[in-house]
Amino acid sequence: MKKTLLFLAFILIITIGYLSIPTTLPTHAPTRDYLDMEAELVEQFILAKDSSTIELPAGHFLFSQSLSLDNKTNLTIKGQGMDKTVLSFKGQTSGAEGIKITNSKNIVLEDFTIEDAAGDNLKISETATVTMRRLRSAWTGQVSEENGAYALYPVLSTNVLIEECEVIGSSDAGIYVGQSDGVIIRNNKAFFNVAGIESENSVNVEIYGNEAYENTSGLLIFNLPGLTMYGGNVVAYENKIYDNNLPNFAVKGSIVSAVPQGTGMIVMATKDVDIHNNQISNHTTTNLSVVSYELFALERNGDASETALSEEAEAQGLRAIDTEYTKDKAYNPYPGRVTIRDNSFANNSFLPTFSNDFGKLWLVKNGATIPDIAYDGMIDPSGALQDDQHKLCIQNNGGAHFVYLDAANNFEGFTNDLTPFNCTL
Amino acid sequence: MTIGDVRILIVFCLLLAGCEQAPSKHTAPKARKVTSSVAKINNDRNDPEWLSSYGFFKGDMAALDPNTNVYSYAVNTPLFSNYAKKERFIYLPEGKKINFKATGPLDFESGTVLIKNFLYPQDESNPESEQRIIETRLLINENGAWKPLNYTWNEAQTDAQLNYVGKTEAVQWKNKQGETKEVNYVVPNINQCKNCHSVDNTISPIGVTAAQLNQRYRAVKEEINQLDYFKEIGRLTQFTNASDYDPMPVWNDILTGSLENRAKAYLDANCAHCHSAQGSAKNSGLYLEYHQRDNRARGVFKPPIAAGKGSGDFQYDIVPGKPEESIFIYRVGSVDPAIRMPELGRSIVHKEGLALLTQYIKELRLDDASGAE
Repeated sequence: MKKTLLFLAFILIITIGYLSIPTTLPTHAPTRDYLDMEAELVEQFILAKDSSTIELPAGHFLFSQSLSLDNKTNLTIKGQGMDKTVLSFKGQTSGAEGIKITNSKNIVLEDFTIEDAAGDNLKISETATVTMRRLRSAWTGQVSEENGAYALYPVLSTNVLIEECEVIGSSDAGIYVGQSDGVIIRNNKAFFNVAGIESENSVNVEIYGNEAYENTSGLLIFNLPGLTMYGGNVVAYENKIYDNNLPNFAVKGSIVSAVPQGTGMIVMATKDVDIHNNQISNHTTTNLSVVSYELFALERNGDASETALSEEAEAQGLRAIDTEYTKDKAYNPYPGRVTIRDNSFANNSFLPTFSNDFGKLWLVKNGATIPDIAYDGMIDPSGALQDDQHKLCIQNNGGAHFVYLDAANNFEGFTNDLTPFNCTL
Repeated sequence: MTIGDVRILIVFCLLLAGCEQAPSKHTAPKARKVTSSVAKINNDRNDPEWLSSYGFFKGDMAALDPNTNVYSYAVNTPLFSNYAKKERFIYLPEGKKINFKATGPLDFESGTVLIKNFLYPQDESNPESEQRIIETRLLINENGAWKPLNYTWNEAQTDAQLNYVGKTEAVQWKNKQGETKEVNYVVPNINQCKNCHSVDNTISPIGVTAAQLNQRYRAVKEEINQLDYFKEIGRLTQFTNASDYDPMPVWNDILTGSLENRAKAYLDANCAHCHSAQGSAKNSGLYLEYHQRDNRARGVFKPPIAAGKGSGDFQYDIVPGKPEESIFIYRVGSVDPAIRMPELGRSIVHKEGLALLTQYIKELRLDDASGAE
């Protein structure tokens, strides 16, 4: 009897623990001593010449306006190290971005920190060949929906290299590469973001050697409808993705607001993806999921009133969930030709989270076991499971726990059987 | 202890930490002013560092006493700039002329400089009171292309220094009614010049048109017209005489035009640099040049295109007879950066201008809203 009571008390404590997690968000609070050298530094940006270097001194510099560069070639912006040179846009009254670079070529940004912009900390658009190296891009204070959307945000660009950077506190994605071709994201750290790292509608992308932890979700490989180009050919390896169980603090209606907390990595609607030699562990929903856009749209459809993204949020470049994606004839909402091999999975969570439908599903359908690999199994109605277009190959991932959801048929074919997926591509 | 227990402990600690009073995320912290210890980047623009080096003014620079080849001028209806007073000059190099054009800015030759000083008298009702010059803007004609430059005045009012990046300055003065007024005056950065001074994406002067300059030359001699004076001294060519052309009404002088025409002059000076088919607000379909005769293009029963929250939930730019339902009045009367019009150069309401537009819309009838120039 005493033992039973003890056991119940233990369960109670665990439950209270679980319930309390969603209400708390972590804090990034570096010590700052702000300096005002705005006039000189803005001047350097406004007058920057091609083939030159903007050398940023050491110090914590506060700006009331965005720093912008347009139509520049061969320009380097260099600080004295991410702990020494800090550009803060806290309370800025003009412009939404911290640094904004447009229509440029051969740009290098290295060795400084960007903080607290009203919108995105660093946005680079329509630029060919850009390197971000040893940058820290962060929002300070307790993480919240009020934080800006993207920490490092190259979009509509080619030959993008992001290495040895740190991204902290983004209310959407920390490292966010959108609609770009030729992307390397390596040896970065992402924490306290909704999505740590996201490759969206980009092609020829390599993601390796990164560490993503304590985000809502660690790594997203997404392909969304209605954009200028579609993503594919993505390889992710030697990444460490763990403890991404942060409550989702994204703006309602944005695409990442639909990402369940406690997801290590999600491949959505993307073709030709190779995931190997990663360590993915300790997630309360799922370590790795392969899903269709349809599942996302379904998840949100029941809640249509909440999907509308505000005009301001859209103007800031946030992606809304498009429930009319079938109108985009060029878009394929299903993943395919995905390989998951030689990864190591682990989980120290006692129970799945009950904060989303997947956690509850595991409780009902999977004996409360959190899967390492989950596949929704939704495919094009004209195709067949494991045909050339929709093939998913899972091999040599230790004792990874697998679930096939059969989401299209109300989970009727729900199974842990890996046999059909034992293949190579 | 299990890992889970440790987590709970951590969460508990975080909860406690979260209870500390945190200042708002969007409040700017204080920052100590410092000057750069790094070498400034070499810029090859070679723009003069000081206004004095141009030699536009003789003697005490703050008196703005023009040197040889520098001519004072005034416009009939100016742009409202937070109640700043403006002193305008043209520098015409020896032998250079202005070529007359009946519409649009006059045609200037290479080397010409348009000089505009923005200043606040301490007391508007006392002409002898001290005045503070904030900035001097130059438009320099280099082989047909206009280059904008900006100089901000020092505290001692002895000279003004080149400024590319803009700045904000708190200004206080006493107006004609004896009220103390104050404003955070914003000097624009050099990239912002183009927002207004742009015709089909090329930098252009705005106010130096025949209609705007067509007035008595108060600064030199009352009895002569400005345009006639420039002709008389041989600096204006291809010009007959001022009486052949219609002047722009003076917005606040009832002797110079009807209410409607003075309102149109005000809209021309304050809005049409963007709101024209060649301006940066061409997408709005709202065109407010003085000679615009299309009522709908002028805003009458015209729904907004891309005003967003600027519409204030009203349907039309102008509802004749109903200023309280007209988007015009809502936006001209607002100081919210997301609502106010004009967007730049104004952060407080121009009460007198707003009153003029309100009266204009109140008295406007659709049947007489056209062609009443």
